[in-house]
Amino acid sequence: MKNLPSARLNVCLLAAALLLFPIAFDDPFYLDVGVAVLLAAISASAWNIVGGYAGQVSVGHSMFFGLGAYAPLLFYTLWGWPPLAGIPAGIALSVALAIVVGLPTFRLSGHYFSMATIAVAELIRIFFGTWTLVGGAIGLQGPAVARGWWDLTFRGDMPYYYIFLAVLGLLLFVTYEVERRRFGFYLRAIKASERAARSLGVPVRLTKLKALVLSATFTSAAGSLYAAKTGFIDPDSGFGILVSVQMVIVAALGGAGTLFGPLLGALILVPLQTAANTWFGGGGSGLTFILYGGIIVLIARFEPGGLFDLWRRLSPLIRKRVHAA
Amino acid sequence: MLLEAQNVAKAFGSFWAVAGADLAVEEGEIIGLIGPNGAGKSTFFNCLAGDMPPTSGRILFGGTDLTRAPPEAHARAGIGRTFQVPATFEDMSVIDNVMVGAFLRHPHRNDARALARRIVEMTGLRADQPARSLGTPGRKRLEIARVLASEPRLLLLDESLAGLTPSELQEAIALVRRIHESGVTIVIVEHIMEVIMTLTRRVLVFNQGRVISSGTPEQVVRDEAVIEAYLGRGAQRHSRGSGNP
Repeated sequence: MKNLPSARLNVCLLAAALLLFPIAFDDPFYLDVGVAVLLAAISASAWNIVGGYAGQVSVGHSMFFGLGAYAPLLFYTLWGWPPLAGIPAGIALSVALAIVVGLPTFRLSGHYFSMATIAVAELIRIFFGTWTLVGGAIGLQGPAVARGWWDLTFRGDMPYYYIFLAVLGLLLFVTYEVERRRFGFYLRAIKASERAARSLGVPVRLTKLKALVLSATFTSAAGSLYAAKTGFIDPDSGFGILVSVQMVIVAALGGAGTLFGPLLGALILVPLQTAANTWFGGGGSGLTFILYGGIIVLIARFEPGGLFDLWRRLSPLIRKRVHAA
Repeated sequence: MLLEAQNVAKAFGSFWAVAGADLAVEEGEIIGLIGPNGAGKSTFFNCLAGDMPPTSGRILFGGTDLTRAPPEAHARAGIGRTFQVPATFEDMSVIDNVMVGAFLRHPHRNDARALARRIVEMTGLRADQPARSLGTPGRKRLEIARVLASEPRLLLLDESLAGLTPSELQEAIALVRRIHESGVTIVIVEHIMEVIMTLTRRVLVFNQGRVISSGTPEQVVRDEAVIEAYLGRGAQRHSRGSGNP
C-alpha cells in the first residue's frame, strides 16, 4: 500500500465497518455469514503469503488447516484439555509439516509444485480417515457445553466474530510488515524470476521455506478457530481439497499477492456462496464446486490480477470522470 | 588476481559448449569476450556466474573456490551479472527492483532504499515507474542498476548494450565507464565492436568453445584466426584482393 492519505482512510473505514458489523446487523444469520467471511479471509490471507506473494501456488493448504483443526479437539477428546491448549500444538505440527513438505517440493516449480501439495494433503486426509485415534471417518467432537472461556465454546456467534477479527487483524499486520521488509521484496522477486533473484543473492529455497512456515502457522490457527466454532471436525472438512481450493479462489478473486485481496475475495465469495445455498437449497456441495469452477474460469480469462488489480486500474479513470463532471 | 577460471569446460550431452577456457582477471580491468554466435561465450559466462556448474575446471574468486557454488553464493562473494534477456521483476516499480539488489548488503529497508535511490539516479531511471512499462533500453539499464545495488566487485555484463540506438549506446558506454571508474572490475560480452574497442583494454575471442585469440582489441581484430572465425575460410585472401574468382 502506498502511504496515500486516501488509502489510510479506506483502511480505517474498512476496520470500522468490520468492528461495527455485528452491532449493526444483530441477527444470528448475518452474524454467521460474517464469521464465515472472516474465517475465509484468515485462511486465504495465510495462503496468500506463500501462494500470492511468493507465487508458490499450494493447493494443499488444507494439510495445515486440518492439523490446526484436529489438534484442539484431539486434546479435548484424549485428556479433556481445553481446545485453547491445542492451538499451539496444531501450529507446532503444521510448522514441522511445512518444513518436511517444503524441503523436497520447493525443488518443483509451477504446476508440479501444486500437484505435489495436493498429493500430500490427500494422503493425510485418507490417513486420518482410517486412523481410529482421531475418530476415523467420523471425526472428533469438542466440548458441548463450555466449562470456561478457555474452552472457546460460546452460545452466540458474537465472541467468535471478534476473536476471528482480532486474528485477521494480526495476520494482516504481519503481512503488511512482511511486504515492507527485505523478506517481502525477496518473495516478490522469487515470484517474478527465481533465476534473477538468485543472481542477486536471494537465498531462494530458504526464503520460500520461511514463507511456507509463516503461512502454515496462520493456516493452522484458522483451522483451530474453525474447529472451536464448529465443535466438530472430520477428514473432509479438515483436509478436503475443497478447503484448499477455497483459499486459492478467495485470494485469487480478490487479488493474490496484495494485502487486502483475500479479505475482498472473502467479502464477495462467502455471501455469494451462502446465497446460492439458500436459493438452490443447501447441502449441495456439488453446487459449490460449480461456483468455484465458474469463478476460476472467469478470473483466469478476464482478471488474472484479481478484483484488487481491476480496482487499481479503474479508480484513476473513475476519479477523472468525477473531476470532469 | 580477482577471478581465475582454469580450464573451464561445459558439456551438454556429448556437445562441448565450452571446451576448456582460461580467464584471469585482475582487479580494476575491463575485459571483453567476443565471438560468433554459438561460440560458447554465454555458457562460459553462466559458469562464471554460478548459473550452471562447469563439467570440469575450476573457478576461483578472490582466492575462494566457487566452482560448484550456487549463484546466490557468487552474488554474496561479489560477482554480479546481468542477463542477456532482461529478467525484470515486472510487477514491481523501478526502485523496488533495485532494492532487491540493495538488500544483499543492506538488510534494513531504509538503507537499501537510500542506496537504490542513488543508483537509480546515477543510471538515469525514474524511481516510481512500474518496471513493466519500461522498453528494452530501460530494462537493460534497470538490469545494470539492480546488480550495481548489490555492490559487486566483479560485474559480468551479458550483451547489456545490445539493441540500443546510437545515442542510447553512447549513454550506456558512458555509464559502464562510470561504473568502472567507481572501482568495479568488468567482464563484458558484446557483439558491438564499438563497445569493445572503446571500453576494453583486453579481449578474448571465443570460437567453438575455445579461446582462439586474446590481446588488445586492435591486435585481436587483425588476427587471422579471428577473421576466419567470423567470416569463414578464405575471407582473408578475399579481403586482400588476391583471390580472383
